[in-house]
Amino acid sequence: MPEDNTELDLIIQAQQGDRQAFGELVRRHRAGVVNVVYRMSGDANLAEDAAQEAFIRAWQHLPSYRPRSPFRNWLYRIANNAALDALRREKETVNIDDLPLADPGELPEATLEGKQQAEFVQEAVLALPPASRAVLILREYEGLSYKEIAETLDIPLGTVMSRLNYARKRMLEMLTPHLEGVR
Amino acid sequence: MSEHVTDWLNAYHDGELTERQRKRVEAHLAECASCRAELEQLRFLSAALRESPLPSDFLPPELFVAQVGLQLPRRPEGPAPRKALWVAWRLTPLVLLGALVFLQTVLLVTGLTRVAVGLGLGGETAATLLPVRTGGLWQAVQLNLILPGVIALLYLSWLASWWSRRQQQENRS
Repeated sequence: MPEDNTELDLIIQAQQGDRQAFGELVRRHRAGVVNVVYRMSGDANLAEDAAQEAFIRAWQHLPSYRPRSPFRNWLYRIANNAALDALRREKETVNIDDLPLADPGELPEATLEGKQQAEFVQEAVLALPPASRAVLILREYEGLSYKEIAETLDIPLGTVMSRLNYARKRMLEMLTPHLEGVR
Repeated sequence: MSEHVTDWLNAYHDGELTERQRKRVEAHLAECASCRAELEQLRFLSAALRESPLPSDFLPPELFVAQVGLQLPRRPEGPAPRKALWVAWRLTPLVLLGALVFLQTVLLVTGLTRVAVGLGLGGETAATLLPVRTGGLWQAVQLNLILPGVIALLYLSWLASWWSRRQQQENRS
C-alpha cells in the first residue's frame, strides 16, 4: 500500500533524527492518541499533556521501533502508559475524591440526574478498572481487532476477550437504569 | 432451542468469529429472543460510546504539532537503522532456509544419481552429470554435516539476536 510505504519512509527518516518527518507522524496520529488518552483520563487538560508526553516518548524510543507491528498500535501502547502515568501523578497531588475514577461502583443517582447521555457514558467508562477501560477504548473508539489489542497492550488474546466482556457488562449495569434504549 | 450463545455475543458483535461460529450464533439468534436482546444491548452500548464526543477545547492540530516539536530532545536515543539493513535483516532467515533447501536438494539428487549409476541405470549420460569425487570422506563430511551445521548455527544466532532485540524493545516501551 503506498500510504503504508510513505508512513514507513517517515518513520525511517524520523528514526534518523528528521524532526519534520516526525512532525508529520504526529499530525497523522494526533487525533487517535488524543482520543485514547482523553478516554483513559476523562480530563481534557490532562489528556493534552499526556498526549504530548506520549509523542515525546515515542520520539525517544523511535530507534527501537520495528515495523513488525503497525506504528499506530505501538503509539497507542505508549499513549495508554502515558495516560496511566498522568493519572497516577494527578492522584498523588489531587484529593482522591476529586478524581473521576475514584468510585468504581454504581454511578450515584444524583450525579446522573440532569446530565447528558454522553456524560453518563464517559463517567461510566472512567469508573471501570484501567485495564478493562484500555481494552474497551481501543476496541470501541479506535476499532482495533482483538489481536491488535493483545499486541498493543501485550496481553493474551483470552485476556482481551475477558476484559472486554467484563467492561461491557459493567457499563451496561451502570447505564441500564439511566439511559433510554438499554433494557 | 439450542444452547444460549452469551459467551460468543461480544465476539459476534465485534466481527471476531469464524464463518462457522458466526452461522451458529445467527442460527441461535433467529430463535432466541433473550440472546437477541443481549446483542441489542451491546449494539446500543457501542453506539452510545461512539456518540460521546471529545471536548472542543483541545489545541488545534498545527499548534499541537508545534508544541510537541518544541519539546523534543535534540536527537532520538541510540543509532538509527538504515532501511536496506533492516530489509536484509528481515530476509536473513529466508536466505538461510533457501541455502539449506538448495544444499539438501543438490545432495539428494547427487546421491540418487550415484545410486542409479551404480545400478547401471541412466547409462553414460547420468555418469557425466555427476561431480568428480576429489575429497573423499572429508568432502562428504563438509557437505553433509559442516555446511548444514553452519547454516543452522547462523539461523540460531539470528533467532537469538531477534529475540533479545524484541525483549529490549518491549522493555523500553
